[in-house]
Amino acid sequence: MTTPTTTPMATTRVAQDLVLELLVNGEPTRRLVPGHRSLLEFLRDELRLTGTKHGCDVGDCGACTVLVDGEPRLSCITLAADCAGTAVETIEGVAVGGVLDPVQAAFDAHVAAQCGYCTPGFVMTLRHLFADNPDATESELRTALGSNICRCTGYVKILTAARDAQRRIQAAR
Amino acid sequence: MLPFPRFSFEAPDTVAEAVRLSALPRAMLLSGGTDLLPSVKHRLFQPDVLVSTRRLRELRGVREGADGGLTVGAGMRLSELSRDAQVRLRFPALAAATASVATPTIQRMGTLGGNLMLDTRCMYYNQPAGWRAALGGCLKCEGTVCHVAPKGAGCYAAHSADTVPVLHLLGAVACFATTSGDLRIPVAELYGDDGRTWLNSPPGALLVSVDIPDAKAPIAYRKLRQRGAIDYGLVLTAVTREAEGFRAVISAVGPRPIEVSGATAEALVDAALAVVQPLATHQQAVPWRRKMVKVELRRAIGELG
Repeated sequence: MTTPTTTPMATTRVAQDLVLELLVNGEPTRRLVPGHRSLLEFLRDELRLTGTKHGCDVGDCGACTVLVDGEPRLSCITLAADCAGTAVETIEGVAVGGVLDPVQAAFDAHVAAQCGYCTPGFVMTLRHLFADNPDATESELRTALGSNICRCTGYVKILTAARDAQRRIQAAR
Repeated sequence: MLPFPRFSFEAPDTVAEAVRLSALPRAMLLSGGTDLLPSVKHRLFQPDVLVSTRRLRELRGVREGADGGLTVGAGMRLSELSRDAQVRLRFPALAAATASVATPTIQRMGTLGGNLMLDTRCMYYNQPAGWRAALGGCLKCEGTVCHVAPKGAGCYAAHSADTVPVLHLLGAVACFATTSGDLRIPVAELYGDDGRTWLNSPPGALLVSVDIPDAKAPIAYRKLRQRGAIDYGLVLTAVTREAEGFRAVISAVGPRPIEVSGATAEALVDAALAVVQPLATHQQAVPWRRKMVKVELRRAIGELG
């Protein structure tokens, strides 16, 4: 092992592997990772946070969407090493104390999932949209949902849930 | 499963260090990664080291340039660019072109620099390694035959960067850092005629910023694509009307964006049809794409008002 880095939240070279320090759902996390490890593999295989789904693997489908410093990222085409010093939020970090957030609650209320594989990605995309633009218009909402694909094609229920989530968030302001 | 091949990762703090690292054998610069990393998964590139530009402060921000223009950092995310007040006020066509890239999430990841340095694309090239192996590869990767033009000697993979037709018309200049000093290349001269060697910037050069001179006339931009999101363009069209007539840049129809001009709208369309030859680089029928060059150009002229 190398000497631990003196700078917090830094990446240091250790042969092929790097020391990666970051926050995952608020938890300080420190692991050795190889340079070619995707953020998706890091979350699912090393941290066992399997709520983030492995879909197309090339950034087309949005199933692996997580938030990095509040910004949506396709974790399958993001390198874990490139997230040093960031705060990552996954679907596991969304509900607080077992209470669903408004987006999750609206998806639940409208049964906006068929197989459910795409749902964590949709929830993360919508969490970002409503944090960034809580008064998003119908057009902005539909444009934002263009980042994610549902192959059960349940888009009507997803749109209904998204509009309801927006109302819940606006009502809570 | 499309695992990454093994490579190492560097995230330098300075442009000088980034340029030194990117000059190493089999090193590649990594910006948003939205095109490069899928291609690495497909083994279109096999880098030994990826050099991240994420920590380079010099690549960030929009500032006033010379002659009333703007200097835009190459590391600006596409979503930052399309929402920037100065960009929207002074270069609305650039904001529109930027907002047409892929999906909102990809616009939050991808950068202006990455868009300018985007690889050329073809349906025989942007495929998983096993798919390509079944055909024996192609001229651009692993093979000896172009499946688009088997009798030709060149590669016709299509330039697909959404921001480039507008930047070309605006007279923008790409500013690079290299191990042998800074280098300025007009966007209009940045791309070449072969899909394998389409970039005229030297290998390892780091795009730092793009200088955009003050816009002289409005520009209309159109992107023809299969769906309203995610897809690359089938025909990209930017057109402007100047004192001498119309000038247009048409892209996604070959390795290099093509500039044409005409005194009248009809002369412009005729000039375009004489030189723009879409080939079978996309799944959509070639005669239809050729017809759509004319249709998209007329629509863009109409949008100029």
